[in-house]
Amino acid sequence: MKPRLAYGYPSTRVRRDGDFQCIHCHNLVPSAAAWAGVQHRNHCPYCLWSRHVDLYWAGDRLSACKAGMWPVGLTAKQRVDRYGRSIPGELMLIHACVECNGVAINRIAADDHVAILLEIFQRSQDLDRRLVNQLQAGGIAVLDAAEASLVQARLLGTK
Amino acid sequence: MNTNSESPDDPGVVIKKTIGTYFVLRGGQVLPCGISSLLRKDFVYSTADPTSMPRRVQSARFNTHEDPVAVGDIVRFRDAGDGNGVITAVLPRRNRMARRSAVPMPGAHPFEQVIAANLDQVVAVFAAARPTPSWHLLDRYLVSAESLNLPSLVVITKFDLVAGGEIEDDLFAAAKAYRKIGYPVLLTSAVDGLGLDELRQTLAGRVSVLVGKSGVGKTCLLNALQPGLGLRVNAVNRSTGKGRHTTTHSEMFLLDFGGAIIDTPGVREFGLWNVDAQVLAEFFPEMQPLIGTCKFGLDCRHAEEPGCAIRQAVTNGAISPYRYQSFVRLREEL
Repeated sequence: MKPRLAYGYPSTRVRRDGDFQCIHCHNLVPSAAAWAGVQHRNHCPYCLWSRHVDLYWAGDRLSACKAGMWPVGLTAKQRVDRYGRSIPGELMLIHACVECNGVAINRIAADDHVAILLEIFQRSQDLDRRLVNQLQAGGIAVLDAAEASLVQARLLGTK
Repeated sequence: MNTNSESPDDPGVVIKKTIGTYFVLRGGQVLPCGISSLLRKDFVYSTADPTSMPRRVQSARFNTHEDPVAVGDIVRFRDAGDGNGVITAVLPRRNRMARRSAVPMPGAHPFEQVIAANLDQVVAVFAAARPTPSWHLLDRYLVSAESLNLPSLVVITKFDLVAGGEIEDDLFAAAKAYRKIGYPVLLTSAVDGLGLDELRQTLAGRVSVLVGKSGVGKTCLLNALQPGLGLRVNAVNRSTGKGRHTTTHSEMFLLDFGGAIIDTPGVREFGLWNVDAQVLAEFFPEMQPLIGTCKFGLDCRHAEEPGCAIRQAVTNGAISPYRYQSFVRLREEL
């Protein structure tokens, strides 16, 4: 059973580990918010790989797997506009663990490599059907070709 | 430390310790004692002629940090005849539960603080609520007890505060996780007497030490276990939810139903002492069978090494991720 966060476990605090070396491309990644544009850096901005360190909640550091997580594709956070309609919100990156098939969605950082993000989006159109179904079962919808304009707008802005 | 057991002085057991005064029990009589200054000195003997009698002291270092006498120690003392005595020797201990002292500043050297000596079991006390239990602190107590080869008992007090509430399920889940490892967990309440009979049975005939954070209800539990003790207790601070350090000294109580129990002041930190990082996994019973089965055998640190059997067991759900996290945190600290 997944216990409540506040009940006696030390995972309530997100520990700032500082800069780290990417598990995939081995580049040194600075964690400062001034670079990332987000408070919690959770993937490499050069290759966009992540690492499986969280288990129940972001920042709990409870996972013993610690394997690399490859960028599977993109999804959009759903939000509700002022008229109560569900609209696509912030663009998110989907990561899947290479060892235990764990899945996580993470915010895109300010300094993430845009060309690689677009490449991931293109590649995600040919994803294995089983993986797509697994993601959908977990409530994560991979953006498909129909949302290409949304991805372009989110990453490169609108004219 | 002088542990001369050939001394003609009387033997007794230290049952209470306050600053500078030790209360020694012998034949039903309690005598307040000071300690001989010899016990506070570490002697360095000449190694030039180790067979010479008597051995020549080369130098003496006065130890001001460590207290040479702990509650539970069997000592030799001399009655001064004026209602006081002097402890002249501490007999060899069967075991001792100790923690690393807090340091006044970063970089300062910690030293050993003995909590109690000559124990049969460790009773880790936690409150179901107010203050919220800290399972990582519990893991520290359990590791310390395992390193001494002592059995542990987990007692969760103030169960009446959470009975029927949302937290009850979390508490049962945590208790189940520790029972699965092999630690007995008792849910108790000093208010309605829940679990006290079971606790009495577990304590009977043994010397136990109560350890836990301030405000968890160690002394209250003791008052409920043995009515008539009338020990001072206090409610936790309403604003902070923390204990008020009501018990300020360690004391051993002889139990009517057999055995003895040592009540200790609450602690906020419990640093492990005399536990080697290399063998830490041995003190986690659920990890013991897996030691040596990793890809790198006994060299595996169980941190990030590929083919680690312990990490694999955590991923499979055989080992609790919280226990593994405690292991990692303790290993980093040692």
